[in-house]
Formats: sequence, C-alpha cells, structure tokens
Amino acid sequence: MANLRAAPDRTVRVIQWGMAGVAVVFIGGIITWIAHLIRTAWRLGDVPSASIGISLVAIPVFLTLLGVILYVFVGLLRDRGER
Amino acid sequence: MADPADTRDAPLIAPIERTGRGFYLTVGILLAFIVWGAVAYWTQFTEGLGVTGLHQPVSWGFYVTNFVFFIGISHAGTLISAILRLSKAEWRRPVVRMAEVITVMVLFIGAGQILVDLGRPDRMLNIIRHGRYQSPLLWDATSISAYLTASIVYLYIPMIPDIAILRDRVGKRKLLYTVLAMGWRGTVHQQRVLNRAIAIMAVLVIPIAVSVHTVVSFVFSMTLQPMWHSTIFGPYFVVGAIFSGIAALIVAMVAFRKAYGLQGYLKPIHFRYLGQLLLVMSLLWFYFTFAEYLTGYYGNEPEEMKVFQAKFTGPYWPFFWGMALTNFVIPVLCLVRLGRRTIGKVLLASLSVTVGMWLERFIIVVPTLSNPRLPFGEGIYAPTWVEWGELAGSLALFALFYVLFTKIFPVISIWEIREGRDVGLKEVEERLRTYLPDTPEAGVVPAARGH
Repeated sequence: MANLRAAPDRTVRVIQWGMAGVAVVFIGGIITWIAHLIRTAWRLGDVPSASIGISLVAIPVFLTLLGVILYVFVGLLRDRGER
Repeated sequence: MADPADTRDAPLIAPIERTGRGFYLTVGILLAFIVWGAVAYWTQFTEGLGVTGLHQPVSWGFYVTNFVFFIGISHAGTLISAILRLSKAEWRRPVVRMAEVITVMVLFIGAGQILVDLGRPDRMLNIIRHGRYQSPLLWDATSISAYLTASIVYLYIPMIPDIAILRDRVGKRKLLYTVLAMGWRGTVHQQRVLNRAIAIMAVLVIPIAVSVHTVVSFVFSMTLQPMWHSTIFGPYFVVGAIFSGIAALIVAMVAFRKAYGLQGYLKPIHFRYLGQLLLVMSLLWFYFTFAEYLTGYYGNEPEEMKVFQAKFTGPYWPFFWGMALTNFVIPVLCLVRLGRRTIGKVLLASLSVTVGMWLERFIIVVPTLSNPRLPFGEGIYAPTWVEWGELAGSLALFALFYVLFTKIFPVISIWEIREGRDVGLKEVEERLRTYLPDTPEAGVVPAARGH
C-alpha cells in the first residue's frame, strides 16, 4: 500500500517540478526572443536604440515574474512535509 | 487553513461537485455561437479577407475593435483585484477571484483577435523570426505576454489554498488538484510564502496592467492619423479599460450569483461599492472624451475635422451618440442614486457600459481609417456575417471558458472568506485603531500649548 502511494506522489512531484521547468522555458524563451530582436536590429542598423530601450523595461519584468513563480514553487514544495 | 471537515462554505464547492441541466443548456447555447464563429473563420481562412467588410482604406474593423475591447475588459480583474487587495478593502473577498478569472480568460480572446485579423496566419511565425522591435505592434505583443503571464500567476497563487481544499474534499480530479495544490498544508512557512508572493504580484500587476493598455493605445497614437495622434490616448485608453472592466465584472457577478445561488456571498453592498466605482469611472471617461474631442475641434485641422464630422453628424453618428448614451447618460442616471433595487440598477448600468465601450473602441478605430490623412478617398466600413460571427463566437468562447472554470475551481475564494470571518474582523478593528488619533485617557486633560 505504501508503494502504491509512493508512486503517484513521485509522479505528482515530477509534474510539479515540470511546471516550474515550463515557466523557466517559457519566460526564458521570451527573453531569448527579445534578445534575438535586438540582435536583428543591431545587425541591420534598424534603430537598435529603440529595441534596447524597450527591452530594458521588458526583460526585468519577465525576470521578476519568473522570480515570483520560482519563489512560490520552491517555497511550497520544499515545505510539504511539515504541518 | 484547509480543514476538510469545515462545511461552512459548501455553496462555493457545490457547483464543482454537482452539475445541473442549466449548465448543459448554457454550454449548448454558447457552443452554437462558437460554431458560428468557427464557420465564419473557416470561410475567411479558405477564401481570404475578401469575405469580410475590410478593404482599403478601412483595413481594421471589428477585429481590432474587439482586440482593444477585450484587452480593456481584462483590466477588470487584475487591476481592480490588486488595488482592493493592496488597500485592504475587506469587501473584496468574494469579488477578487471573479475579477482575476475575467482577466486571464479575456486576454486569450483579445490576443486571438489579432490572429483572426491576419489574412495570412501561416506567416505569423515571421513576426517572431523577423520582427522589428521599434514597432508598437511588437510592444503590444511583449506587454500582453507580460500581462498574461502576470495575470495567470496572480490568479493561480491565491487559488492554491482553495485547490488544497478541493484536493481534500472533492472526490474527482484528484491528480489535477494534488498537482496544483503544490503540497499545500497551510504551514506557517507556506502561508508566509503565499502572502509575500500575493503582495509582490499585487504591486507588480498594477503598472503592468496600466502599461498594457497604454501600449495598446500607442498602436494608434504613434501614427499621424487624424484623431489618433494624441498624447492623452494612453490614459484615455486606461480609463476606458478600467471602466469596461468593472462593468464586465458586475455582469459576471450577477450571473453567477443567480446561477450558483451565491446571494449569501455577493450582497447588495458589494454591488453598491462597485456601482460607485463605475459611476466615478463614467465621469472620468466623460472628462477624457470631452478633453479629447474639444482639443481636436479647437485645433480645427482639416483632416481631423473630417473625422470629427464623420463621428458627430456623418455616417458614424449613431455609433458616436450611442456611445455617449450608453457610457454616460444611462450609467449616471442608474447610479447617481442607489436606493432600492441596487443590483438591478447596477446591472443595467454595467450592461449599458459594456455595449458603450465596444462602441467607443469602434468609433476610435473605424472613422479615422475611413477618412485617412493619405489621399485614399473616403471609405465606408460595413461588416459582413463573418465579422458578426467572429464577434459572437469570441464573446461565447469567453463565456464558455469562464463557465468551465467555475466547474473546476471555486469562483469565490473560500480561504479568503474564511480568513475574513476568522481573523479579518479582529484585524480590521486593530487597523482602525491605528488610523484614529490617540485618545487621551478619561479624566486626563492634555496640557494646553502656549503661543
């Protein structure tokens, strides 16, 4: 019975950490995309200052969101045994 | 925090445990509209944008109107919820979840309008591969992505204790609830993490929400088109967004109050407070509209005046004056005196504002394109059944998402209601004492200060 319980618990943990991974990949993907747009603007000499200006606002916002998400995931999942 | 034996708030879990005929009927009706929208889109996809009323010079019609309208409604949620949380307004407790859900659902629908507007959606990836970041359209893509991410996080984090209640009490969807509950046991540490995260998100989400609708306005105001090139478009759009957001929230509250029997949670006082907010926003909206049009009229620039006349007395007058009626006259008449029948009056005002704000978005987008600065000649826009189908389908899809959400998660935050009952009253009393001036003890006369 204990084994039966342990397997779903492990599955649940994997899914939960997987969700944290999805958040990292999603926000990391957006930041990579923004960096790609800056690189394209720089390469083409296509007003890179505007792209850099916008990204200076956007990237910290996404990083802060990722920070909050990871803070909640780690904060809750690491404490699951205690009551 | 999540005591499974606590059955005080059973009405909030009842819609998740039981499904009545009303649910299937509602879903059936909504699906009929969604099918209409799907057929309309398929027709457009296979035959091209020629089946719509879009043409040169009016290349943005219903779709961009819907985009601005839906993104505007999204402010219901997060912004109102965040402000009420930060200001510790106790009456927020049964309201915030509904507002947060609106935001997330409607953002998907709003962002989807841009995809519908693309004549060649197969080329969408080019935006990602070869986008130009100095274009306000990409600023929009970035800010909406940030807002959607923030809104999902801001909806999800305060739901965790409720999901743990469902995990422990509801017999179905065990895996889903167990995964999403994140091992919530209500320990002191977990509560500290949750409260801190909610506080950070509440602060973060307000500037994001404001920036999103400002950036949406930039799509128009960064051009030199008549009656679009305006410095107040940012705040004007934000005010309109909050206005329509409150209206949508009230409509949702009335609907779910009736459908799920939540009269004990959503009381007339909640509608009174939201009605007062709606009245304030109606007056603010009028102020911005008046300032915007007066500036254009006083400048008397020929190209601007063509658009001005088209709206006031030209082919778009029914929309313009309809907007004034539904956004200002009706709401003010309904809300200026909320005595008896509070909920009915607030609902009428909200429905009126919902229609009015869609008209406002239409009246911003279309008349300017009909009378462009470039020598295109005047164009009249008449939507076809395809655009009407997309509008009906989008509204129905939003409603369907919302209804399905309420069948899986509580539409009112259970733990916040319990917290209000158990510790809120005491907290409010203590907080109130800190607001009030220090009272001298009885019989002690404070010493007079000599000057």
